[in-house]
Amino acid sequence: MKRPVASGIAGLDYLLHGGFPAGASVLVEGAPGTGKTTLGMQFLYHGATVDKEAGIYLTFEELPEQIYEDMLAFGWDLRQLEKENLLRVICISPEILLEQMMQPEGLFEQIVREMNCRRVVIDSISLMHDGLDAESRKNVYRIRNILRKLSLTSLLLREQTDPERTEITYEHYVADGVIRLALQKHMEKYRKRTLEITKMRGTRILEGEHVYRITDKGIHLIPALSMVEDRGLRKDVSVVPTGIARLDELLCGGIASGTAFILDTNSKANYKYIMGSIFAQRLLAGERTISMVPSISTLFDSKRIMALFGVDLLEAVEQGKAYFLDHFERPAPKGFEQAVIQLNHVSDEEYHQYLDEKLGPIVNESRDKGENWFAYYDLNTMFSERGKSFVKRFFAEEVNRARAVGLTLIILCNFAEIDDETSAFLERTCNGVIRTWVDGAYQYLQVTKSPHGRMSEPLLIENIAEKPFIRLI
Amino acid sequence: MSDSYIVPLQMECTLFFQMNPHAYETLDGLALRLGRTPEHLDQVLQKLVTLSILKRMGEGERAIYSYNQPDMIHVS
Ligand SMILES: Nc1ncnc2c1ncn2[C@@H]1O[C@H](COP(=O)(O)OP(=O)(O)O)[C@@H](O)[C@H]1O
Ligand SMILES: [Mg+2]
Repeated sequence: MKRPVASGIAGLDYLLHGGFPAGASVLVEGAPGTGKTTLGMQFLYHGATVDKEAGIYLTFEELPEQIYEDMLAFGWDLRQLEKENLLRVICISPEILLEQMMQPEGLFEQIVREMNCRRVVIDSISLMHDGLDAESRKNVYRIRNILRKLSLTSLLLREQTDPERTEITYEHYVADGVIRLALQKHMEKYRKRTLEITKMRGTRILEGEHVYRITDKGIHLIPALSMVEDRGLRKDVSVVPTGIARLDELLCGGIASGTAFILDTNSKANYKYIMGSIFAQRLLAGERTISMVPSISTLFDSKRIMALFGVDLLEAVEQGKAYFLDHFERPAPKGFEQAVIQLNHVSDEEYHQYLDEKLGPIVNESRDKGENWFAYYDLNTMFSERGKSFVKRFFAEEVNRARAVGLTLIILCNFAEIDDETSAFLERTCNGVIRTWVDGAYQYLQVTKSPHGRMSEPLLIENIAEKPFIRLI
Repeated sequence: MSDSYIVPLQMECTLFFQMNPHAYETLDGLALRLGRTPEHLDQVLQKLVTLSILKRMGEGERAIYSYNQPDMIHVS
């Protein structure tokens, strides 16, 4: 099956089991002001910035200049993306668009090819037909076929004229999926925004309404709690617990294979038990691991901590379940020698190739057997040893690769030591962020981003005598 | 009809395409966007095409005008 296409809205991707089916045309309907334009643009912005997939926004009535300006409120610089040829906000009349879409070598095909466009938003499909005669209805069908032929994953926005009545129109039959946005009265005085997926070809959908907010970062959807719990109970085998009870609850069972998490810690925070517990659980689940030895601790420390969690690291090494990357030449425990890959002589240019040579054959053979891999990187060590631009490039590639092959990534990083732009980039690119910091006499932990769109409040970390040696309160 | 409207309309059109560099419009479509009549715009558009500020695709009333972006001229 083709990889789903992420919508850029974490909660929605959770409901869709990863994203829209590749090549699908999804109808997004709602009354004016419900957030269709925002949702459409978030889909393209995410595609362009995270997945490096080019997108086209076709607008019939609203002018691009207005859209550029409105989207700046979410920090989305669309003109910059246009300069990078990752986006175009095209204004055109519906009749001319259709004519050009149907014409061989027409404008639409030309632009799609020139940009290597993967994603399209049409604002709005309502304007491409009058809904009355059969010929005009055929246009919707025609457009869907053209989009499908060009393998474009697309959102067809539809203005709902009467929000009180949910009419079923021709578009609903033709579209591969239907998402309905609504603004409803809530407890007399308030209004709440809800999203409902009423159809999605090839995807088991979780029925019901989910609340979303429009925040200064775009649409933020919170999957309805009951459903999240249902799925947590389903004991998805690809989700490995962290071993820290409260954290597993917050993450709906643990960390799913193929996701990338950042553990952001300030220098005073003690993360060794958090990392230790996560790492031990991956080994206990039978995963194979690659980890970077941080500058401030050694493999002797790792071995000792794993022993506390009941894992014999030497045995894991001997079974080929643990490999280590080290930027420094230093002693390793006996028996670890062949598992340590020394990086101190490897240049930035050779880095990927070198690792591919060392680990590629091992990883490939094991993936054929269906084994899962887990990698742990210390970005602060990488920042100091290799510099910012290397880390950004490396990180983006690694996250893509992780998703493609189902590798799970945990990245240790201290946001306070890197610039805002880089930390925003890292945060955007990964699926989850766990922060831990020290304030006065206490240490805290907070999940600030998760694959299902839920955030936690700051929790206190309490040290306890038995595994996992910490408890979140 | 005096020609004095040509220069201001020319600027209006150029500005529209600068602000919306990926607009693809027919004469009628553009007239609607700018709130002008096609009769007034026709000559202006021809002029902008001659000046290479705009590109024209096709002929007649279905001809499509688009912006010749300064940084894209050498590309296409
Ligand atoms: N920064 C923001 N924070 C909260 N709400 C916002 C923000 N920016 C826009 N909105 C809301 O988003 C809505 C506009 O959404 P839009 O995507 O244009 O809707 P549609 O395309 O469905 O008409 C408006 O109702 C506005 O109140
Ligand atoms: Mg809109």
